[in-house]
Amino acid sequence: MPDQSTIHSNPSPVHAQASAQITPSESARAPRLIAIGGGKGGVGKTFVAANLAVALARLGRRVVALDADLDGANLHTCLGLPSPDVSLADFVAGRTLEPEKLLMQTREANLQVIAGTHANLDTPQPEQNQRVELLRGLRRLAADYVLIDLGAGSQRAVLDYFLVADDGLLILRPEPTSVENAYSFLRAAFYRRLQLGARGYGVREIVSEAMDQRNERGIRTPYDLMREIEALDPVEGRRFMEAMRGFRPRIIVNEARTENDVKLGFSVASVCEKFFGFRADYLGYVNYQKEARDSVRARKALVEYREASEAATYLKRIARKLVDSSEAKTLSS
Amino acid sequence: MRGLEELDHYEILELSRDASFQEIDEAYRILRETYADGSLALYSLFSEGDAVVMRERMEEAYRVLSDLTRRREYDETRRDEKELPPAFDSPALGSPALGPPAAADAAHVDPDLLPLASSPSRDAEIEEPDGGVWDGAALRRARIQSGLELEEIAEITKVGIRTLRQLEDDAFDDLPATVYVRGFVMTYARTIGIDPARVAASYLRRFEESRSEQGRGRFLGRR
Repeated sequence: MPDQSTIHSNPSPVHAQASAQITPSESARAPRLIAIGGGKGGVGKTFVAANLAVALARLGRRVVALDADLDGANLHTCLGLPSPDVSLADFVAGRTLEPEKLLMQTREANLQVIAGTHANLDTPQPEQNQRVELLRGLRRLAADYVLIDLGAGSQRAVLDYFLVADDGLLILRPEPTSVENAYSFLRAAFYRRLQLGARGYGVREIVSEAMDQRNERGIRTPYDLMREIEALDPVEGRRFMEAMRGFRPRIIVNEARTENDVKLGFSVASVCEKFFGFRADYLGYVNYQKEARDSVRARKALVEYREASEAATYLKRIARKLVDSSEAKTLSS
Repeated sequence: MRGLEELDHYEILELSRDASFQEIDEAYRILRETYADGSLALYSLFSEGDAVVMRERMEEAYRVLSDLTRRREYDETRRDEKELPPAFDSPALGSPALGPPAAADAAHVDPDLLPLASSPSRDAEIEEPDGGVWDGAALRRARIQSGLELEEIAEITKVGIRTLRQLEDDAFDDLPATVYVRGFVMTYARTIGIDPARVAASYLRRFEESRSEQGRGRFLGRR
């Protein structure tokens, strides 16, 4: 593994001071939404979300971490918070309509959390209009980044966050089950995006049909689908091309143990391009480290628990890349 | 978005048209693993048939682009077809880093993400070049297939990396006398697991031809 000192300099340990110096925007600019998904449960979405949240906060950015995994909400635990008094469940139940009222302060000066659920074993998923409201509310938060920890699976509730976010991070573990679920997730997200954008008569139906892999038209790949649509409606075909261009998930390989595990990110990005026809970026990998599990037990992010560990260094590097890429975009826009 | 059959060689290897030989090698190496039999990245998505098509396209793309002459011809025909802007200018031989990297390229690997020096997988099958001609490009292709970096060959053979590059680039003018070149080619071939005598004979045939042509044109052709 690379020498840590060459990767990047560690942020100042005095986070509060650091934040005062390098907060990028005091203005009312909307926060950047970063959704963290991956299809499969147990691949480390929450672990990565918690660590990126702390790492971004320590880079002096104002961060809100939202636990959208209502079925298995535990982001707050990973960040050392007790069972929450308020949570997203309050929003879903209509008890509060303002996300800022759900914020809980963490140990990190720059990091607040919106917990997933509390004191209710049967929290319903938010309806579509509630999700729209929630996203609107999140964009109004006084933060630089809002990290959304998604649940497992590829239901609409999960997909829509991924699609609406400015960055969609896909967490992969180097094992067939994770890769398979990641592809199903991407396929579903992709079709969902097309479906939401489809207007022409009959096009929506074709997309819906294509989502069933055993469809009668023999549509196997997004490419086949586009051909079908183009034949039906060339204008719609062009719109689809546009939709595809805007879809650019970013891959993180978690628990990499071998060189081949590290390369998996490149390979999956290539397969996305060849098979789905959209670009994916390989954002980085996190090596397997026993301390990662220990950090969860200690209810701390690894970047806090073992700041100098190799895995923490990789996590910080990913956070730095997110900052560099998104802030470069903001400056150029 | 287009199907595999519509992609050109550069798109197949996910390269920009001004990609250097090193970038071509790198891209090919990654894709070779990606689309190999049993690759994890293909799991559940590519059928075996799709993967075979992709592998064939990839091999062909690499065969053309890793060879200076073939690549030029290919670029010419593409330019005629599509009026593409001139992209690949004849490179200074011996220098693998050609032009600035195109940041948006998939094959442009973020150095942070690069794994450690790859362990050579010498059991890889090495393909015979076209017509059995072992030129620099064929050597390079064989080396990539064997999973070895130039640096590793230099390390093992103790032949300088510059010389190895000159061998791969067919930079005949820069190479020393025949007797040395024969030694280099044989060591190189042995290291990557191909028949040293046969490869050296084939390589030296072209080398000497070039030398004698040069000799006719220039009084002091040999350095």
